[in-house]
Amino acid sequence: MLMAAKNQFRVCFLSIKYNIMREMINKVTFLTNIFFMMLNNGTFIVQWLLLFQIKEDIGGYTLDQVMLLWGLAACTYGLSHVLFQKAFELPELIINGKLDSFLVQPKNVLLSVITSATNSSAIGDVLYGFVIMCVFSFSFGRLGLFILFSITGAIIITAFSVLVGSLSFWIVRGEMFGTNLTNILISFATYPDGIFKGAVKFILYILIPVGMTNYLPVHIMTNFNPLFMLTVLGYMVMLVIVALYVFYKGLKRYSSSSLMVARM
Amino acid sequence: MYAIEVNGLSKNFKVKIKEKGFKGSLKSIIKPEYKTIRAVDNISFAVEEGEILAFIGPNGAGKSTTIKMLTGILYPQSGGVSVLGIDPTKKRKQLAYNIGTVFGQKEQLWTHLTPYDNFKFFGAIYDLSAKEVEFRIDELRTTFELDEFINIPVRNLSLGQRIRCEIVASLIHKPKVLFLDEPTIGLDPVVKENVRKLIKQMNKELNTTIFLTSHDIGDIEKLCKRIIIVNQGQIVLDDSMENIKYHYLNKKIVEIKLKEEVEWPVEEGITIIKSKGCNAKLEVDTTVKKISDAIKWIDADNIEDITISNVPLEKIITEIYKNVEMRT
Repeated sequence: MLMAAKNQFRVCFLSIKYNIMREMINKVTFLTNIFFMMLNNGTFIVQWLLLFQIKEDIGGYTLDQVMLLWGLAACTYGLSHVLFQKAFELPELIINGKLDSFLVQPKNVLLSVITSATNSSAIGDVLYGFVIMCVFSFSFGRLGLFILFSITGAIIITAFSVLVGSLSFWIVRGEMFGTNLTNILISFATYPDGIFKGAVKFILYILIPVGMTNYLPVHIMTNFNPLFMLTVLGYMVMLVIVALYVFYKGLKRYSSSSLMVARM
Repeated sequence: MYAIEVNGLSKNFKVKIKEKGFKGSLKSIIKPEYKTIRAVDNISFAVEEGEILAFIGPNGAGKSTTIKMLTGILYPQSGGVSVLGIDPTKKRKQLAYNIGTVFGQKEQLWTHLTPYDNFKFFGAIYDLSAKEVEFRIDELRTTFELDEFINIPVRNLSLGQRIRCEIVASLIHKPKVLFLDEPTIGLDPVVKENVRKLIKQMNKELNTTIFLTSHDIGDIEKLCKRIIIVNQGQIVLDDSMENIKYHYLNKKIVEIKLKEEVEWPVEEGITIIKSKGCNAKLEVDTTVKKISDAIKWIDADNIEDITISNVPLEKIITEIYKNVEMRT
């Protein structure tokens, strides 16, 4: 069991390494993708600086907290797309029958699929996240928590994407629904949760788990609460289990295809 | 012992039907209609260990669907599959350690990596240690003559070189059963011949069971001793190559060059396929007329040159496909 997990980890590691090597073939594109993504994210700092000159507190957040939220949002998004890019393209793989080569390998299908590509510009998001965190709210303790929540957040976003993406096993154009839900999650991740009330807040914490990827972690980093921490970890485990269940249930309906495919 | 056993295997696909035009699109949203296609319809067969089997049929016959159910890619609707005693629906991973697959139309290799790095990656997938992978690569690079291009990225290789690498990647873990789905598609005749030679060699040396689907009659003729023909999801013929040739080769093709031009009279058992000047091509049905009688009928003294050959396997298979379609 332990050996199998070690071998699975080795294959995932190799897969991610080869993905990054592929992106690095064109050095200029690789570096500019990262740089421009950081620059693109950076423009939002100006927007928030202007807003905080008008008002001291937005939705219960100070400027530093909003920046921490931004940093964490960028980092969770970036990490999930660097490591598990294909989780966000799952509907396309299911609909066009591109899971065949993963199904004939003696490894976990889902892990093999989601680690089979990377997004080089997302490396810019990860770097941006850490820079923002260090500039606006640095402490060693907070950095540790930031790393932890970047990982849990990336896992939650990925699991959520797998969950909604797996609906394509049942719904023919399920990719639109899945992509929209994932985009909502990412869009809401950069706004303070204090501005949302009632049902919207419930949706953001439970159904579209932005509360668990960003809001609650930011609260924990500014005011440590072990119960909140357990909530985030528990939610992550639960979502991963549900996503795995739905994916493997759907896999039985997989219908493959005879399209010509190359692993590019 | 059987390497592959299939009992009453079936697979359906539900396909949405849409009427033509925009109106049809609207109707399909409001009241969608579906049609069930029976891709594989209650088939049963067994393959001996070390056998090379051709599993052929026209497009859409159910060949690839069957291979996909045997390898654990697709779940059957009903029926049972056992490959090396393993049920692919229940123990997909365990089965994957023991089988290899080459899909001629789908590449498994990373195109930006060299074949060498790809093989290392596939070694890791099959839990081989670095030492084992090195040893296996060394073995295979000689057999498959990879030295020339083992360190060139796959995207820069020719199609023939790529297919060789695909086969090597699928053999890195010494599979007991190899599934080849159109392995020679798009290859030139020389490379095709090389690939066939290697498949045959592997079968001979390692007793690997080979399950082959191909539209290339050359692959079937040169590699397989047994053929299963499927059409519309059903097995229409399961016989040895020898028997097929014996039963279906009761017709001979006689190509002749005559000294003087002749008018061909009508004769039972002889069909004139082509006649131009002193050259003619005839088909002789040996169940009606012996070949020696046919030559006498042609007038042996008038023959300058003669070639007698069997009807090509390609034609036999086409006839079988057609007969089944006519019956259904």
